[in-house]
Amino acid sequence: MRISRQKVMQLLIYVLLIAGIAVVVLPMIYMISTSLKPNGALYEYPPRFFPKLKEITGENYRYILSQKKFIGNFVNSLLVSTITVFASAIVSSALAFCIARFRFPGRNFLFVFIILTMIIPGTTMIVPQYELAVKLHTINSIWGLIPFYVAWVIPYSTFMIKGFVENVPRELDEATYMDGGNVFTVYFHVALPLIQPGIASVSIFNFLTAWEEFPWANTVINDDLKRTLPIAISGFFGQHQFTQWGYVFALSVLSLIPILVVFISCQRFFIQGLTAGSVKG
Amino acid sequence: MKLNRESKIQIGVLLLPGLLVFGIFTFYPIVRLFWMSFFKWDFGSFLNQDFIGLENYRTVLSDRNFMTAFANTLVYTIITVPAQMILGLLVAILVNAVSRFKIGFRVAYYLPVITSWVIASLIFRYVFNTEGLLNYFLTNVIHVTSQNIHWLDSRWGGMAVAMLLGIWKGIGWNMVVFLAALQTVPLELYESASLDGAGGWQKFVHVTLPGIKGTVLFALVMLTIGGFNVYTSTKLITDGKPGHDTEVVLTWMYYKAFSNGKFGYSAALSFIIAFVLAILAVVQFKLMQNKE
Repeated sequence: MRISRQKVMQLLIYVLLIAGIAVVVLPMIYMISTSLKPNGALYEYPPRFFPKLKEITGENYRYILSQKKFIGNFVNSLLVSTITVFASAIVSSALAFCIARFRFPGRNFLFVFIILTMIIPGTTMIVPQYELAVKLHTINSIWGLIPFYVAWVIPYSTFMIKGFVENVPRELDEATYMDGGNVFTVYFHVALPLIQPGIASVSIFNFLTAWEEFPWANTVINDDLKRTLPIAISGFFGQHQFTQWGYVFALSVLSLIPILVVFISCQRFFIQGLTAGSVKG
Repeated sequence: MKLNRESKIQIGVLLLPGLLVFGIFTFYPIVRLFWMSFFKWDFGSFLNQDFIGLENYRTVLSDRNFMTAFANTLVYTIITVPAQMILGLLVAILVNAVSRFKIGFRVAYYLPVITSWVIASLIFRYVFNTEGLLNYFLTNVIHVTSQNIHWLDSRWGGMAVAMLLGIWKGIGWNMVVFLAALQTVPLELYESASLDGAGGWQKFVHVTLPGIKGTVLFALVMLTIGGFNVYTSTKLITDGKPGHDTEVVLTWMYYKAFSNGKFGYSAALSFIIAFVLAILAVVQFKLMQNKE
């Protein structure tokens, strides 16, 4: 019997893809396996990729979950990310709607400036932003994070949502104005419902940005209880003589769960948003 | 359309929150940064700063540590950007060619992208530790070396680990972006190329690549910006050590500002980086246009 060339090719592709996945997820499996090993075993020689079956323990997770400060860090991260997502959705969609639909003084300058700030690395602004946070008395508070994150994600969000607004037919706006609607009616009842997929896709991205942000949060927050998760995770270093890798990775695994939930449930929007920007460009 | 007074007010109300947040937390800091870069501004001169013109820029550009950091960032970008793009495109082409489990593959390859930089950096640091898993594998399992390699104790060892992390984390994004671009290449072009007797590689060069040119440019610009944005990985993997050998521009900027208190220096450094990135973006656009 002859197997077609086509079939052999398909099989080869599957093998290649699966081999690739093995390499890609290896570090993550190692993280999970380390988080399940007894903490003391981490300095033992030889290091093992998988723990022995009878060795598997939830003690690292028990420790993390028993510490009030880590629960607090988790809540901080959730608050910061959720408020950032909602605030930037409102602010960016309104900006995008106005830029796409109306001519107003400074419109072009605003749009060019938004694009320019996408080029400049956010971290370069850390010195004047820190000075600003000190002036506003928001050091050591989640309010020292949220407005900065919102400002940080506005350019990308506005840019992406503007593309979605432009896809809404102008006739719909005009029909609403004819029926006696005003700018607010068009924004809330015509544009917003139709650009929801765009808002959803940038929101997932914004959630991830706020959830994992490190340099700024590490600069503004130095109180253990006020920290967000990335700072709490990196905070395991330098505290003790030995790094408790079991704790590090248990907290890491726990902090990945919300991201996975958000990502897998909204996967469709995420891909849509990413591709809308790239194919046009 | 002529706008009446009510409409103008309503547009103003919609614009206001965005303009306020963006104005206060982005526009003002950028202006302030530019201002600071011309002054002698450090811990010792908090209340009273002297205008020193371009002195800060001169100091940055003649600083050996900055040059090392700049070279590291450049090497990081030159290596990780093409590597991510090539591997991402390869995975995209493979995923595009299979008939089943497309979404499963897409999600699996995307996992490193949604893993935070902090976590990914710590995993890599742990694996590449001198007593870590990789050295154990190299010395005791496949016996390619008899001594543990001190990956993180040398300039290029530390940079190599950071670059490997950058590539590992970037493949998924490139895959998704290129996967979308591949859908836009008309199938008829492939069919007529086949009729002309083109092989797989020729089809790739003459049909696929020209078809996804726009996306290649988009990815190139975005990833170059991303390369200059590298901070968390080198900060957590090597923290610039040994000496300041594995510093990148942003970690060096941060160090000078918050450990040395040289705010004017850091401000000038920030503008140099922004300037370099703007030029790179323009050059990349021009190059791609000329290829047309």
